[in-house]
Amino acid sequence: MVKVEHLGKRYTTPDMDVEALSDINLDIGEGEFVSLLGPSGCGKSTLLRIVAGLIPATSGRIAVDGKVVSGPGPERAVVFQDYALFPWMTVRENVEFGLESRAVPRPERRAKSTELLSVIGLTDFADRYPHHLSGGMKQRVSIARALAVDPSLLLMDEPFGALDAQTRRTLQNELLRIWSAYRKTVIFVTHSIEEAIYLSDRIVVMTARPGRIKAIIEVRKKRPRDMATTEMNEVQREVQGVLEDELVHTSDVHADEITAH
Amino acid sequence: MAKSTSQAPLGIAPPIGVEAARKSLQREGAREKLLGIGTIILFVLIWAAIYASKILPGWAFPSPWQVIVAFNEIVTNGTLLKNTLASIERQFTGVILAAVVGVPVGLLLGANSTARAALLPICRLLYPIPGIAWIPLAILWFGVGFTSTVFVIFFSGIWYVIFNTMAGVQTLPAQHLDVARVYMTPRWLFARRILIPGALPFIITGLRLSYGVGWRVIIGAEMISSIVGLGFLIDDARWQLRPDIMVCGMITIALIGWVSETLFFDWVERLTVERWGMKTN
Ligand SMILES: Nc1ncnc2c1ncn2[C@@H]1O[C@H](COP(=O)(O)OP(=O)(O)OP(=O)(O)O)[C@@H](O)[C@H]1O
Ligand SMILES: [Mg+2]
Repeated sequence: MVKVEHLGKRYTTPDMDVEALSDINLDIGEGEFVSLLGPSGCGKSTLLRIVAGLIPATSGRIAVDGKVVSGPGPERAVVFQDYALFPWMTVRENVEFGLESRAVPRPERRAKSTELLSVIGLTDFADRYPHHLSGGMKQRVSIARALAVDPSLLLMDEPFGALDAQTRRTLQNELLRIWSAYRKTVIFVTHSIEEAIYLSDRIVVMTARPGRIKAIIEVRKKRPRDMATTEMNEVQREVQGVLEDELVHTSDVHADEITAH
Repeated sequence: MAKSTSQAPLGIAPPIGVEAARKSLQREGAREKLLGIGTIILFVLIWAAIYASKILPGWAFPSPWQVIVAFNEIVTNGTLLKNTLASIERQFTGVILAAVVGVPVGLLLGANSTARAALLPICRLLYPIPGIAWIPLAILWFGVGFTSTVFVIFFSGIWYVIFNTMAGVQTLPAQHLDVARVYMTPRWLFARRILIPGALPFIITGLRLSYGVGWRVIIGAEMISSIVGLGFLIDDARWQLRPDIMVCGMITIALIGWVSETLFFDWVERLTVERWGMKTN
């Protein structure tokens, strides 16, 4: 489904040069739920934005469904952390925006948005504007907007990062329900170990500066997962071990940078 | 929700605090209104005092009462209505033209760096020229009357529309643009569905400014190049030595400006950006 080969990304601005990603190799299968996990600044968003086609890679290549990515495509949709809803569109109009962009006729658009609004439980809010909604509701709308265009690959950048624990768990469960009902491939960026384990088939743990893949951890347990079992605790410890290694390394890098300047 | 508060079960105190806070807000609002009206009354009193003191000769300085009488005269004989309508027609034509041309140009300048590089310098150069300075040329090109006045209003106001629309597009959150790219939104839909509503708070500000400037220049333009309009009314009163009529014209301009500003533009804002939660006040 998604094939990432020797991918590298360097941000070059007049006053600095950041190597954000280096030699990323990754294969993601059809219908798989994969999390990208790593410390802040390790390039998770960068990788996701490259897969989305929003920014170009500096080296290497990405193929989705066998086609090399050179820009956004109809088979991919993105859910952003800050929802990115349009305040001047009603909930329904926001959900329909992708379809409107594709010139889908109005009756078809309406049918699709009606279905999705009921899936996310916001039927009664169809004609409200986003600023009337809570953060959790906004993120539901944003997910519905992405699902509306029926993408085979759903890219999510810390979608639940700004939500409280309770809402977060509810939305995680809804996402899993949607994921299994609609059979999407999901790439999910998070920096919560717990969230990655709860949701993913595989967890890609990344290192910081330049971002590389440190380890890929498979979570075989079937869902819904009870995070309190010893089995889950073990996975948690494993991921934590890999990541902590990395955190120590990150602070070293920072110390180096500070002395170098 | 509202129902449950009014039928609060025994033991739960009614929201006295909220009610009291609302009352005190209302009192505060009433106080501010009174202060505003008080100052206007004071202004009229000072005006009457100056008239009574005869510092300025009576034939050049009318009393408030004389102005009221003059109002009655020009309302009755129809000159006020005729001249006001003429000015409003020009003003609207000029401002609407400025919007029709200025908004698309502003969108283009905001969204396209090549267009910005090409057009921004000349806009910056033309912008500081006062609208009045265009009047002699406008008369040469279009003659005295409607067209030259509209031209001057248009040329004075369009820059505010262009610059504000441009700023509105440039300050659009990057995430909105990302969403449009993800869904491969076609160009025209992008302009209509994202750029215009996203920049609307700025566009409205630009139109407000352009409208205000229009009223300021229209009078000058009509004094020089017109035989009808509020500017003409004021200038014509000079030849008849009727300062009371001049003041009538000035008050009419003030009232129209105030009414349209608060009623029309505030109404547009309430209907759009305020409803969308895009205006924080
Ligand atoms: N547009 C940009 N220009 C220059 N440098 C950038 C840009 N975007 C990101 N970077 C840098 O690239 C590195 C990776 O950034 P990225 O946003 O991908 O990290 P992240 O893993 O998503 O972090 P977080 O968990 O905080 O969201 C960071 O060091 C960041 O400063
Ligand atoms: Mg990020």
